[in-house]
Amino acid sequence: MSVANRLMVTVSPHLHQEGETIQRAMKDVLIALVPAALWAIVVFGFNVVYILAVSCITAALTEWVMRRIMGRKPTLFDLSAMVTAVLFAFLLPPTTPLWVVAIGVFIAVGVGKELFGGLGKNIFNPAIFGRVVLWFSPLALYTQKFVEPFYWKETGFFTPIATSISETVAGRVVYKTLAGGVTDVVSAATPLSLFKSGRMLADVVTGPTPVGATWLTPSGRPSLGALFLGLKSGCIGEVSVLALLIGAAYLLYRRTIDWRIPAGIVGSFFLLNLIAWYYPVHHLFMGGLALGAFFMATDWVTSPVSRRGKWIYAIGIGVTTFILRYWSARPEGMALAIFIWNPLAFLIDRYVAQPKFGEVKAPLFYKLPSFPESSSSPAKKEA
Amino acid sequence: MAGNGHGQYKTFVGGIHPPYHKELASGQAIKAAPIPDKVIIHLQQHIGAPNEPLVKPGDRVEVGQKIGASDAFVNAPVHSSVAGTVADIAEVPNFTGARVKSVIIEADKEQPEFQKKENPNWEALSADEIRQIAREAGLVGMGGAAFPTHVKLTPPKDKPIDTVIINACECEPYLTCDHRLMLERPEDLVRGLKLLMKAVGAERGIIGVEANKMDAAQKLEEMVKGEDRLSVEILEVKYPEGAEKMLIYAVTGRKVPPGKLPSEVGCLVQNVGTAIALFEAAAWGKPLYERVVTVTGQGIRNPSNFLVKVGTPISVLIEAAGGMVGNPQKLIMGGPMTGWAQSDASAPVVKGTSGVVVLTSEVVDVQEEHECVRCGKCVDVCPMFLLPNYIATCVKKQEWDKAEMYGALDCFECGCCSYSCPAYIPHVKYTREAKAKIAALKRR
Repeated sequence: MSVANRLMVTVSPHLHQEGETIQRAMKDVLIALVPAALWAIVVFGFNVVYILAVSCITAALTEWVMRRIMGRKPTLFDLSAMVTAVLFAFLLPPTTPLWVVAIGVFIAVGVGKELFGGLGKNIFNPAIFGRVVLWFSPLALYTQKFVEPFYWKETGFFTPIATSISETVAGRVVYKTLAGGVTDVVSAATPLSLFKSGRMLADVVTGPTPVGATWLTPSGRPSLGALFLGLKSGCIGEVSVLALLIGAAYLLYRRTIDWRIPAGIVGSFFLLNLIAWYYPVHHLFMGGLALGAFFMATDWVTSPVSRRGKWIYAIGIGVTTFILRYWSARPEGMALAIFIWNPLAFLIDRYVAQPKFGEVKAPLFYKLPSFPESSSSPAKKEA
Repeated sequence: MAGNGHGQYKTFVGGIHPPYHKELASGQAIKAAPIPDKVIIHLQQHIGAPNEPLVKPGDRVEVGQKIGASDAFVNAPVHSSVAGTVADIAEVPNFTGARVKSVIIEADKEQPEFQKKENPNWEALSADEIRQIAREAGLVGMGGAAFPTHVKLTPPKDKPIDTVIINACECEPYLTCDHRLMLERPEDLVRGLKLLMKAVGAERGIIGVEANKMDAAQKLEEMVKGEDRLSVEILEVKYPEGAEKMLIYAVTGRKVPPGKLPSEVGCLVQNVGTAIALFEAAAWGKPLYERVVTVTGQGIRNPSNFLVKVGTPISVLIEAAGGMVGNPQKLIMGGPMTGWAQSDASAPVVKGTSGVVVLTSEVVDVQEEHECVRCGKCVDVCPMFLLPNYIATCVKKQEWDKAEMYGALDCFECGCCSYSCPAYIPHVKYTREAKAKIAALKRR
């Protein structure tokens, strides 16, 4: 009998889905972000590449150093830091100075993820955490200057932006390049902020775009086509809804993300805009909605796991985004909405019951069963 | 949410599509396994009360002789699978590693054929008689759980059973023993089904077959042609289609509530092997002392389906199948999704053993457990709609009340969660721990 020397004994099941790893999922997300990144480079120039590079390198270093300090095993190969780095970069204006990018991604990975306990224990999406911290920090100054698409025709395609200096004369912003040169370009409002302030895009952008199309309809509104394709000012990642949808389709096909979350967010958001008659279709193509709904809110760690929970979470984000866009002082609402709902995801899973198979009168909320008095004390320990 | 009527075939919600590798053994006709020098027959091979030995060392035993029994209701007697001499009665580890009292029988060199006690009037047997026969023959569920059959045939008075379902899904990857039985003995299966229906007074009999066994389904359809009460239902190929509650839902659309038995919705589910064994017991007077076992896997030279005497050490079967090849890394008793990994090949076959699977290092994918990333895949695939990742987390924190809240007690350990977990969390291990602990806490 040639029984093998080392037979492995583990609990069933003894099969594992081929290729189903954390790394695989993260790789999928990175692949799915490629179309949007490429389009961003076309529209906003090579500075996008510098931002992505600085973000990725800083994220990797941060994770490695932080885990070393805390005596945890390195987890760079799960690629989660890379996903955070790219998503964080996507949330920035294309002219964000590189040192601000580095600080932001350090906050995202170092604080948003590792200080919370590492991947799986972070209660905020790290990229959004980093972005929100920047918003409410003095550095916000550097992350709110938007530029027109193809602004690089004035500054040069490969010019890296080192710092931005606030507005000088009549809507122009001066940027200092890495090489020490100074360049100034027209600052642009994002379509969302235009909508917010009641102005139309015509105030800032006129004439044909470099690729021939125009981003205005005769009435002066940004054309839906321009918004959808990404001929607009805005953050790096949110510029082209089309590119994002291509990536999202891939993620849905690979079942890396759950369809319920984007469906719930977009659905509820669209419905409310429809009711309020607040440019419902335009709003779908503006700002971070697509990026948030497909790539940010679907973050595994910070979204609920139960089916019912996912719907609550998604609709919650959709409604919050609408409220923020409609009533708040800032034009953008998506990232903040996700930031608000992230920690609630854990609460939803804790309290909102998922009906079991065959449960006739399924309770809405979980009820903690009680054991006889003498039961061991750890059971009483409440997290 | 997708119900049981969507798609081409009926099915349940959730579940997975593992690589089945049925082709390894499905073409192999059932053949008799060699009879070992010694058989080890555990006195408890079923769920319920253990048996007391009826023989002592030195006694002569015949094939089919009852050697262990008990007065308890939830119990199934055991029978000798060989003619020979009782060598010893000792505690021997079973396939789970638990030590159970066992009768060790030295088999004679010459084994006589089993003498059938033909009962030509088996069709006229009454319900009570069928139950009695099932009990006397030591019948248990042969799909793995080994629940005494006569107990299932005695449903509560206030819960009449209208439908008997034959579990012919064989949704466990690799295993082909039920498939072979359906191909080779379809008539006996249908006879067994009729006996089961008679025993519980059901007016409908349905054989649920997964769509990857169309040849068997066709044979069965020919068998039930012209019989209004009987039908064959083709089901989607999905694991765990053959889990009792999932099967009932797929076939009838009825949902067994949590913590309840199939009789709650008027159903009885029995496995292919059990139905045929019931026919053998009723028509031939043959107790359950042998069964078909699939010996298969990439690590087996000649995958085979053997008719095996209960008590045969699996090493004998592996040898009969040409031994191991390649780089065997796991030896599993049962199927690869729910079976038990063995550290050696000494465990004997029991009534519930459906397969012996040897997986090679190319197939085995065991990795260190990571932190849960809350991807929700376990929740998506869980056919019971539980929250497996939270059960695991609660067990790690020893929060047993929360583990129950998330459904630990409703888990039937199909393993879909661990199969699809990118963090390689062994949910089944944690859930078993939770079940044991919760049961202990509730007893106090």
